[in-house]
Amino acid sequence: MKPVFLIAVNFVREQRWPIFVLLLWVLLLAFLGLFSDIPRQREDLLFVFKQVAVYVIAFSVFFGGSAIYNERKSRRILAVLSKSVARYQYLSGLVLGVTIASGIYCFALGITGSWTLGEAGFPISRVWFLMVCLLLACMLAGTVALMFSTFLNPFFAAGATAAVLGLPALAGHGIATQWQYAIPVYPLAAIIMKSSFQAPGVAFWPPLGLAVLETLAFWVLSARIFSLVDIAVAVE
Amino acid sequence: MPGAAPVVNARLWILRTFQKPCQSRVLGPFRIGRMAPALEFENLSKEYRSFPRRCLRALDDFSLVVEAGEIFGFLGPNGAGKSTAIHLAMGFMRPTHGRGRMLGQPFGDAHARRRVGFLAENVSLYHRRAERLVRFYGALNGMGRTYLAKRAREVLIAVGLQEQSKRNVGRFSRGMLQRVGLAQALVNDPELLILDEPTSALDPAARVMVRELLLAAREAGKTIFLSSHLLSEVELICDRVAVLHRGKLVRLGRTRDLLHSSEKTEIVARGIAASAFPEAVAHDGVVSFSAPATAQRAVLEQIWSLGGEVVSVNPARRSLEEIFLEVTAAPGPADEKGRP
Repeated sequence: MKPVFLIAVNFVREQRWPIFVLLLWVLLLAFLGLFSDIPRQREDLLFVFKQVAVYVIAFSVFFGGSAIYNERKSRRILAVLSKSVARYQYLSGLVLGVTIASGIYCFALGITGSWTLGEAGFPISRVWFLMVCLLLACMLAGTVALMFSTFLNPFFAAGATAAVLGLPALAGHGIATQWQYAIPVYPLAAIIMKSSFQAPGVAFWPPLGLAVLETLAFWVLSARIFSLVDIAVAVE
Repeated sequence: MPGAAPVVNARLWILRTFQKPCQSRVLGPFRIGRMAPALEFENLSKEYRSFPRRCLRALDDFSLVVEAGEIFGFLGPNGAGKSTAIHLAMGFMRPTHGRGRMLGQPFGDAHARRRVGFLAENVSLYHRRAERLVRFYGALNGMGRTYLAKRAREVLIAVGLQEQSKRNVGRFSRGMLQRVGLAQALVNDPELLILDEPTSALDPAARVMVRELLLAAREAGKTIFLSSHLLSEVELICDRVAVLHRGKLVRLGRTRDLLHSSEKTEIVARGIAASAFPEAVAHDGVVSFSAPATAQRAVLEQIWSLGGEVVSVNPARRSLEEIFLEVTAAPGPADEKGRP
């Protein structure tokens, strides 16, 4: 477990600047809270909150999709995997790293959202439920991207991830609603996007459990694929 | 001698860097039975395939055994397959055919790597302070915090970076980066050190230091598998060498056996003219030249018949460079599968 944690913390450290840039969006929401008339502009605040929330899903795809590629391209992966670190532990570290990076963002957004939206009358417990949904959506999206990045470059990995996450959403709209739960990133994002002051919604847990299970499944699949990859071969 | 104290101190640090294998703090005490080979390559082949139907055979039926406690030189021209063999041993790649064992475990075993130190060619490390970086890599090997802190300081002293331990390695020169790379390879007090071009970017003083370090490691019973293009260095420190050419092992043997040619003899004589023998050189009244070992007796009789005196007769000593050029100049093993 120790190597997994070390790799995760190291990943977050390496991604500190993108995380910092992401946190500027949260700062934007905080500024809006400071300099606006919250009760009168609460709908605008909620709109910004939702927008800022879903950006991080895209970022988690980029985090996951580029992690292995960057490490292989820089050849830093060789020094790490020359230690007593199995491939699956290395991948677990990256999944945990993506989750921590997203978690930092979700936590900052949760704090800012509790303050701004809470003051406007939105239930604070609901804000944190949305943050849990967001975090699990990021974790699943990041793991899917990581799985593709074990054998594709980041550009194709991001495209493939978008397809895998998007197709069930399309099927959910076109065929049957249940299809969207095949990969429940869209339903989790939808919970956030559909929240309103009039109908904050109730906690609906099944998609969250499904996201955890699917994250595990994609992690196992990633580990299997990654164990077959020649990591010392130059990446293009 | 005013300069002797620092040299002695440095030597002591180097020796303290290594513990006998049975004392390893990382592994705990363990029993030494009959020493298994440190590295075994068994009929390994590796082919790189690329779209659409290109195939490059980097290693072809390669077999080699590296015994525990030796410094083994692994030589070959660029593209010979040296790094491929090392990467297979470290588990970075999977062989197309064959198998191998490292410290008694199959290649790629993560537990076996706990007892291994590895330095890659063109080392690339995270941009952190040197000491923290070495501790990070040590912690990946499961080392405890207190011992690791002490050990990181020790290895940084051993590679001559004690003054730079608080500096970020992102600002290091290539030579310094290579020394940090060596420090991270040594931090777990490994039984087996696998070094891919460890001195390529180092200045002469640092090379001497690394050489001392490797010899001290051998004294402590460690095994060193050294891939290098610096043949003079390999000649100085390696017990055995192997030369790889186009994916095949073309020469293997003890360094001293390879360097002493059984085909030629070096003869030194006095009291004869240098012109009496082709390629003879006269210096300070003695004439030296080499002759085929089969003609040794006839040559000696010729010296005596000319009224000369034989000073010495020795097997001719060749340089590793000569051997290397000889075995790699010949066309490599036939490779119909795409090698240019």
